[in-house]
Amino acid sequence: MKKIFAALVATLFLTTLTGCAEAKPEAVAEVSIVDGWVRVYEGTEAAGGMTGGFATITNNLDSEITLVGASSESAMMTEVHEVAMVDGKMKMQAKEGGITIAPGETVSLEPGGLHVMLMGLKQPLLIGEEVKITLDFEGTDDVAVVWPAKESLAGDEEYVSNQE
Amino acid sequence: MSKVSRRGFLAGASASAGAIVGASAGAWFGADQAAAAAEIKSQTAVLKRKEKFYGAHQNGIELELQTFTNFVAFDLLDGVDRAAMLRWMSLLTDDIARLTQGDAALADAQPQLALGPARLTATVGFGPAMFEKLGLEHQMPDSFKNLPAFKIDALKSEFSGGDVLIHVSADDPIVLSHAVRRLITDSLGFASVRWSQQGFSNAQGVVPHGVRQRNLMGQVDGTDNPGLATDDFENLVWINDGPNWIQGGTIMVFRRIAMQLNTWDQLGRVEKEQVIGRTLDTGAPLGKANETDVIDFDAVDANGLKVIPDFAHIRRAHAHAPGERFFRRPFNYETGVSADGNPDVGLLWTAYQRNLDTQFIPVQRRLERFDLLNKWTTPIGSAVFAIAKGVQPGQVLAAELFA
Repeated sequence: MKKIFAALVATLFLTTLTGCAEAKPEAVAEVSIVDGWVRVYEGTEAAGGMTGGFATITNNLDSEITLVGASSESAMMTEVHEVAMVDGKMKMQAKEGGITIAPGETVSLEPGGLHVMLMGLKQPLLIGEEVKITLDFEGTDDVAVVWPAKESLAGDEEYVSNQE
Repeated sequence: MSKVSRRGFLAGASASAGAIVGASAGAWFGADQAAAAAEIKSQTAVLKRKEKFYGAHQNGIELELQTFTNFVAFDLLDGVDRAAMLRWMSLLTDDIARLTQGDAALADAQPQLALGPARLTATVGFGPAMFEKLGLEHQMPDSFKNLPAFKIDALKSEFSGGDVLIHVSADDPIVLSHAVRRLITDSLGFASVRWSQQGFSNAQGVVPHGVRQRNLMGQVDGTDNPGLATDDFENLVWINDGPNWIQGGTIMVFRRIAMQLNTWDQLGRVEKEQVIGRTLDTGAPLGKANETDVIDFDAVDANGLKVIPDFAHIRRAHAHAPGERFFRRPFNYETGVSADGNPDVGLLWTAYQRNLDTQFIPVQRRLERFDLLNKWTTPIGSAVFAIAKGVQPGQVLAAELFA
């Protein structure tokens, strides 16, 4: 797939992206991805750790798109995850079929919910560093993003592999 | 039916609680609902006021006093280098840009507390010790250093010094508390909190516009400041030479000044006015009618005594040279009452200037030598910070300093 590199603008307003009565300005990207960040916590202090990436994704197309995966030079493996009840406990697992976003809809990736999972970090994550991730979509081009690493206490779910 | 614009519901990039229906929706409601909406709008006007973040200068200086303030000073953790400073500043820049708009910062654990802008500002500065720790002394602005000792000082370390300052103010205490919490959270990977000093000014709508207030001694405070957005302000406050990162910045003097209200209250009104040199009701210089009247230091009364005594605060504080002025933004503090009813009150007093040697220090020396007000006021905290210039979108605060 073609890679489109979209720099994250810190203060991008959704007002320019929501369906107002007037025609959509041409400048609107097919997919807008704002408010992205990657979590720093105890588990990112050493290489080999794992963490989540979060953002708000809006589909500005007239057809559905699906976030099927992701990749990052910072991690050995990157997947799209959900948090679900497994045996009565909140656990993280790969989201089967990815995250589908209907035309005009917005999906939030957030701690305790859907997220991009970075596994096998190649280096400790430094607070404030910029993490480069490529989001792999079906139905639109892949999008490269740069998300800051920020400390957060939220989002300590146990990871379960659903690979038998 | 006309389509209601969704703009009114989508205030910025994150969910601002309590978004108010925009005026465009007025026609959609009946007259009663429109009136009710207008009423709610006016009730929340203080929340909606915004200060801009981007520009030649940092925000939080050249503006009218906000109602609540918190000065938070940090000391760098061991091992923090310039690269780490740059990462810290990039987080703060993004946080402040969002909070100023009334939006939650990224990774906010309580985004619902980003109620709105409420004129929130946050200003970042650096103390002399930071420049030493990072080997950046050559980047210090001209005249920048720790203040000399003054005889009248009784400084406490828990109120003084600091490597980095984040000064946050807003018109709402919950908006302020939430913002400070976020900014501190994003700082703890780089520094520990050395001190935090909270203060207040008048509520919005209580005093006419201007950077002045009544301090807790009852005096009008902030008279004779250079006017906002004037050439005078520009020339006194904003640095226009030296290292790039500070051009458009300034030097801030911070003083925590304790007031002895119990003994001050023993004075009669005439005595209080003589100590200050101004009337208590209007703030006018003695012998004049209005606060802003030019002070006549030569005027004598019928007995041949000076109308403004030699020991009066305004005589000692008055500039002896045109450039001997600076911009003050005085907040009050109050941190409780002792068992015998003595309040712990005073000023969180700030002065902004281009040059310490020609502006703050000579005036402070005169006050130190002979200002009767010293009997009732004691500086117990002191710090100086070099305030970086402002940023444009996409830039990071003080990036040139740490690059």
